[in-house]
Amino acid sequence: MSMYALLVEPFATLAFMRGALVACMALALASGVIGTLLVLRRMSLDGDVLGHAVMPGAAVGYLYAGPSPTWLSIGGLVSGLAVAALAGLISRGRQRQEAGLVAFYLIALSLGVVLVAWRGSNVDVMRVLFGTVLAIDRPALFQIAGAASIVIIGAAVLYRALAVDAFDPVFLRAVGARAPYRALFQGLVVLTLVASFQAFGTLLAVGPLLLPAAAARCWPLGVVGLMALAIAFGLFASLGGLLLSYHANLPSGPAIVLTSALPFGISMLLAPVRWHVRYLRRRK
Amino acid sequence: MNPRRLRQDKSDGCVRLSGVTVRYGRQAALDAVSGEFPRGSLTAVVGANGAGKSTLLGAIAGSVRLSAGSIGRAAPSRLAYLPQLAVIDCEFPLTVRELIALGGWPEFGAFRAPGPDIANRVAAAAEQAGLSDRLEHFIAELSRGELQRALFARLMLQDASLILLDEPFAAVDAQTETVLIDQVMRWHHEGRTVIAVLHDLELVRARFPLTLVLARRCVAWGPTDAVLPAMGA
Repeated sequence: MSMYALLVEPFATLAFMRGALVACMALALASGVIGTLLVLRRMSLDGDVLGHAVMPGAAVGYLYAGPSPTWLSIGGLVSGLAVAALAGLISRGRQRQEAGLVAFYLIALSLGVVLVAWRGSNVDVMRVLFGTVLAIDRPALFQIAGAASIVIIGAAVLYRALAVDAFDPVFLRAVGARAPYRALFQGLVVLTLVASFQAFGTLLAVGPLLLPAAAARCWPLGVVGLMALAIAFGLFASLGGLLLSYHANLPSGPAIVLTSALPFGISMLLAPVRWHVRYLRRRK
Repeated sequence: MNPRRLRQDKSDGCVRLSGVTVRYGRQAALDAVSGEFPRGSLTAVVGANGAGKSTLLGAIAGSVRLSAGSIGRAAPSRLAYLPQLAVIDCEFPLTVRELIALGGWPEFGAFRAPGPDIANRVAAAAEQAGLSDRLEHFIAELSRGELQRALFARLMLQDASLILLDEPFAAVDAQTETVLIDQVMRWHHEGRTVIAVLHDLELVRARFPLTLVLARRCVAWGPTDAVLPAMGA
């Protein structure tokens, strides 16, 4: 098989492959930025919870209007933001309650599946659980690209405050910056997840958000460097995963998440060597 | 977190406490503490574990909500607060240069990059803290003492009239402690108000003119000689 047939032909001949690639690349850009901040804030579990929190709202949107991307998004956005606010109330002031967060995500997931199964078919349930990367039509593509653009612009405007808030929130408050940065950040996370939900479904939506960022975090880079590397890993996974699913006839969402396991595994194995050298120096 | 009860005094650097009370649930961490840290004073806050020392600093800094009472102090931009080391994320991928430059936050804020003036002051502060050769390192690579020096350098950049230090010399090496104490004395001579939570009573007797002894309530507050008579005396 020639390189052209291997790498280019699937996209040159099939419109749905092109749509999927553009959507995944847009998601990779937003996810690299937001995922890096999530990992730096040690909020990976929150990301998982919010990923499932999108589900009941999307299900209600589905019941109301069928599989319309607009209503799925609006429903998902509303329930995601509601759960983010609830989780914020629960963890405020006290020690983080991981069990509470996990309870939220199980309840949200079950509620969403029950709602969809109530009126829909098993195919519909599979769609909301695992997404439909290859069935992204033009309106859905515009929505994903629009959400990704808002997320990236929002993160760029708030970048300095979000980074410092992740590192030393007490300092930020003491110097008088009292905007609710955590809440703003969670809003950006929910928006990213709603976009990701369209392509990857509720079970996998967190994958493209967290895996590239977690892989990048293994390397000794500054915040911007981590974001760039996470985006590069995400783009690689989008392209590689779609090709893998095409040639091996595999479901596309899982194939993309599996492909991002490759940079993750390599980073976990290779990067710590450099860190260990640095830590040894620190100990002395 | 509760700006309503934090009056911004015109008398820069002076801190007035009246009936300051902080409760966590039913437990009172601070109970009706009243008094004044005069402008330009250097005060050590001492007391047993759980006596409310950190809570008091947090309340003055505005990061702890008051249950009752009020605090009058300088505007946030004139205040510098160094919490205990455990509060910051030491693994965060930030260089020493970036960390120190954060001290200029009130000047450049969330939306602008630090200018050349900040860069010069970062270099000067790093020099003073003995970190000139560490500026490009990540903070994860620093020893505990070096990290504390970097945080002191950030305080220098803040150019505050009121400086709050929570156990600033805990778990640092002897050489670093000397550097940091010298810096505290420099701030004192520059007329800034410094309030420090400390455990080392010998150090308090030797260098701190005023002492506040806390046990949830104010036990004693005044000149160190009177409040902490020398041992065996």
